[in-house]
Amino acid sequence: MAESPRAGAPLLEGEGLRVRRGGHLVLDVERVTLRSGVTHAVLGPNGAGKSTLLRVLNGLEAADGRLRFAGREVRSQRDRVALRRATAAVFQKPYLLADSVRGNVESGLKLRGLRGEELARRAAVAMELLSIDHLAARSREGLSGGEAQRVSIARALAVEPQVLFLDEPMASLDPPTRRALLSDLEAIFVHRPITVVWVTHDRDEALSVADEVTFLSDGRVIQSGSALQVFARPATAEMADFLGVEAYIEGVVEVDGSGPCRLRLPGGATVVCGDAPSGPALACIYPEDVVLFTRPPDADSTSLRNVVEGRVADIQPVGRLRRVIVACEDFELIAAVTQAALDDLSLSCGDTVVAAFKATAVHVLPRQGHDEEGAGAWV
Amino acid sequence: MDLIWQGFVEALKLLFGGNADVYQVALRSLWVSTLALAVASLLGVPLGAALALNRFPGRRLAIAVVNTGMGVPPVVVGLVVAMLLARNGPLGALRLLYTPSAMVVAQVLIALPIVAGLASAALQQLDPGYRLQVKALGAGRTRGVALLLREVQVPLLAALMAAFGGVISEVGAVMMVGGNIQGQTQVLTTGIVQQTRAGQYAAAIALSIILLMLVFATNLAMTLIQQRGRHG
Repeated sequence: MAESPRAGAPLLEGEGLRVRRGGHLVLDVERVTLRSGVTHAVLGPNGAGKSTLLRVLNGLEAADGRLRFAGREVRSQRDRVALRRATAAVFQKPYLLADSVRGNVESGLKLRGLRGEELARRAAVAMELLSIDHLAARSREGLSGGEAQRVSIARALAVEPQVLFLDEPMASLDPPTRRALLSDLEAIFVHRPITVVWVTHDRDEALSVADEVTFLSDGRVIQSGSALQVFARPATAEMADFLGVEAYIEGVVEVDGSGPCRLRLPGGATVVCGDAPSGPALACIYPEDVVLFTRPPDADSTSLRNVVEGRVADIQPVGRLRRVIVACEDFELIAAVTQAALDDLSLSCGDTVVAAFKATAVHVLPRQGHDEEGAGAWV
Repeated sequence: MDLIWQGFVEALKLLFGGNADVYQVALRSLWVSTLALAVASLLGVPLGAALALNRFPGRRLAIAVVNTGMGVPPVVVGLVVAMLLARNGPLGALRLLYTPSAMVVAQVLIALPIVAGLASAALQQLDPGYRLQVKALGAGRTRGVALLLREVQVPLLAALMAAFGGVISEVGAVMMVGGNIQGQTQVLTTGIVQQTRAGQYAAAIALSIILLMLVFATNLAMTLIQQRGRHG
């Protein structure tokens, strides 16, 4: 993940941003702040209002509330045009104009009044950054999806925007093309002091590029903070579910001043967990934090505080990994392991297995106000 | 059959024998219709863009009116223009009736809804993402519309070709407001009607061939512009 050494002053601030469509409130954001030089990921499920928020922040769509860019209020249509000229946007589809690659990369610059050598120089720099200089004379018809998206990003970077808005830029690309472009963009963002707003529904993409993450659901900001914080400590079960948590354990947190917090389950068993307030709670565990053994590990040689025995209920392939569902006495756990690890353990359905996880891997959500329907993998 | 063949041979003689009257009629047809198309485009393209890209009360009704305009018979347009320009009509003081200017006005009114309606349809069919992208590029309203029109240049030029074909081949309106005065307001279509009525089939065929060649040449030119940069 990119570090955040470039974090600076607030650049774009929204307050009470509300958008209604057909009488329905599709965006209801109390406060959002984009700091200069920081890559912000806006994450959330389909229909969460991510793209609407991007359009509002980019001045493409008017909203109720206040928007301030570089200390100035954005109120009128003229202000929004000025905001758009100071920024740039790339969408899921490249939307290249009926022109050559060079013509496309130059288009934003021409609209800002650039001509002559400066126009050619900045277009050349942007094309080189995205490794598309050899395509300069080609028309849009002859480009692959990945090349077209590179042209679109070069066109946006050429204008040297104060904020670069990316609306699911990888969504229509195949995995190898996506990886290559992601890697190039990470390198570009590290070397250029640019503020980025990256809308995505791909948690891995968000985790790899973002310094800060804002999670949206039903048009509202559910959680906002550093990427590590948001991923490690999702605020709601819906978020946890979206971010990849698959195992949930319901119980009551007991805080004993002398030792670590424990989650007492209805059957009486306890799970050691990270710091949490006492009371009813829901603990969630990422599958990649669960380690499987055939025999209990030596307590002195491991930091895994929770060790439970169970039975392999199911093994499901997920991409290159395998989801091993372990039925324990009081709850179910899900571990993500490689096929090689599975072969080493010689596991198959019905076998007895030992599942272990650290206390810090157990993220506890307060039970109050939790929407049970929102937890997809409720156990 | 013999009549047609004789007429065709005579037509070729007229065409290639340097008959000044024939060329004069052809040139008048060309400039009247080209000027009408130019004016209709200047008015119709922005009107079509406004209908396609804006949301306002009555927009659907306005589009329906424009679409209806595409099907209005030219003789009805001719009647309206003739009444407006008649000596005792509201615009009679301009003394335009039975002049090429009146013919241009009538043809503008025929071409305008075709250009506006088809331009509007072309822009409405464009992926809305393009509009968003053009705005995001920093384009103001005028430059943005210009960029969007470039995206729909194929259907837009098809609209212009349809409008040009409609006005240059039209006979009713130009007959009514131009009067088919030889040497002044006679154009190819009205000339064909007159020569046919007089039994001068050779002249009628000659004018028809010129009309077809003009329509083909202008459509070829516009097609070349339309298909520029496209393969095949």
